[in-house]
Amino acid sequence: MTVSRPSPAPLAALPGLPNPVQRTLERMGLPGTDFANLTGPLGATPKDTIYAQGTLKLHHFRPLCDSVYRVPVLIVTSLVNQPYILDLVPGQSMVEFLLRQGFDVYMIEWGRPRKAHQHLTLEDHVLDRLPACVQQVLQHSGEPELSIIGYCVGGLLSVLWAALCANPRGSQVHSPLKNLVCMATPVNSDGLESLKTWMGEDFDEEALLAEHGNVPAEWVQNALRALRPFGKVAGAMNLLNQADKLDVVRSNLRMGKWESDNIPFPGGVFRQMVNDFLRHNRLMNGNWQIGGQNVDLGAIRAPLLHLLAQEDHITPYASSRDLVQRVGSTDRQELILKGGHVGLVAGRGAEMRMWPALDAWLSPRSV
Amino acid sequence: MEQPDWNKLSPAHLWRDWIAKSEAQWSEAVSQLLKNEHTGEALNRQLSEMQLMHRQFSELAQASLAAANLPSRSDFEALDERMGRLEDGLAQVAAGLSQLSQALLAFSASPASAGAAGSTTASRPTRNRKPKPASATPKTRG
Repeated sequence: MTVSRPSPAPLAALPGLPNPVQRTLERMGLPGTDFANLTGPLGATPKDTIYAQGTLKLHHFRPLCDSVYRVPVLIVTSLVNQPYILDLVPGQSMVEFLLRQGFDVYMIEWGRPRKAHQHLTLEDHVLDRLPACVQQVLQHSGEPELSIIGYCVGGLLSVLWAALCANPRGSQVHSPLKNLVCMATPVNSDGLESLKTWMGEDFDEEALLAEHGNVPAEWVQNALRALRPFGKVAGAMNLLNQADKLDVVRSNLRMGKWESDNIPFPGGVFRQMVNDFLRHNRLMNGNWQIGGQNVDLGAIRAPLLHLLAQEDHITPYASSRDLVQRVGSTDRQELILKGGHVGLVAGRGAEMRMWPALDAWLSPRSV
Repeated sequence: MEQPDWNKLSPAHLWRDWIAKSEAQWSEAVSQLLKNEHTGEALNRQLSEMQLMHRQFSELAQASLAAANLPSRSDFEALDERMGRLEDGLAQVAAGLSQLSQALLAFSASPASAGAAGSTTASRPTRNRKPKPASATPKTRG
């Protein structure tokens, strides 16, 4: 049995006054509509979960072409953001773009850590979970090597893995890493001035972790917002000025949904990131020990592409520029593209600039 | 003749435009202030006090909710933990099924099973794609 509800009365229009928000709401069949539904399902590109370990899931996206490049691509996402920013909706998805270009795409979803996962460390991620996913991708694709695309903290994890496991200097073992693509990846904490100040010696991370176990998602969100304090206000003003453009409104709602959907930072990783990465800048100083091994960026020999955003306030250029200079790869490139940290990977700018640049670099190296 | 867009000339629109355009400068100014060592110290002090308040309030709220026979935050966290474990378990089942279906596909595509009735060939794409001719790439550094 269906129950028809009386439709709510339309908002009373004030004649003569411009009211783009109201016009948009009416065109959408509002008021009374669930705003969450306006975004549509996010991260909906068809995929299969081929491996799971704790909260981690490894997805394989179903190919959209009859023939794909020989080398599969593994996307390593950030620990503090939901991975669906790379697969928002059809037409606004980096994953879908890569599939249409003929790549065989896999993605790691780290998942939402709970109290039980507060002790997870960088060792767990870099020396256990990431290598396990790499093995699964190689086994599933039947190929001996793969390309890795890492975004933000995911890029840092990929760099650490590449330096420690993929291509150790002097090793005779064939490396499974064919290509490494980093997107907005911080490597030098001296360039992260604000975070470094806030989490200096006065910051008591142990008290925070004793209270919460993991760093709560709201804290992560507030810290990221504080890096650009009026960003939200400017975004709201821009949205109001374009409120009569349906696609802009929808796109904004999707981004807003993603931005407010942070993931708690695993306590163990947070402790190491604050102490070793932020405070002592051990990666740049060459004395970062992970699992008793020293991380040497020079040990990375695979072709490297670092994609950066010109107006990135989360990973400023000062924090990311050293990557391309420090790796041991002879084939290395850095692309600085217009846009911000999120605009680099999603949105109209990414579609026009970053995705084609990524395809142009990666496709000849994936045969 | 084309009509001008009156919306764009409204004072509210112009004001919002100005706010959006000057945001970068405002954010930069506040960021500079937040980067200051003393501000950092003050923020951390406030953070510690907030944590203490949070703990005290949580304990108080928990006791009150327990007295009223209502679930507290920690009860919801325990529920979240159990739900999370269920979700993780389901993901492992899904992954197992995916591996099984891949093994079945591989078997059905193998010559050994070619004579089996009703066998279908695996529909995996071939891995021999070649890149398109090089096109112009954006400005690069490094």
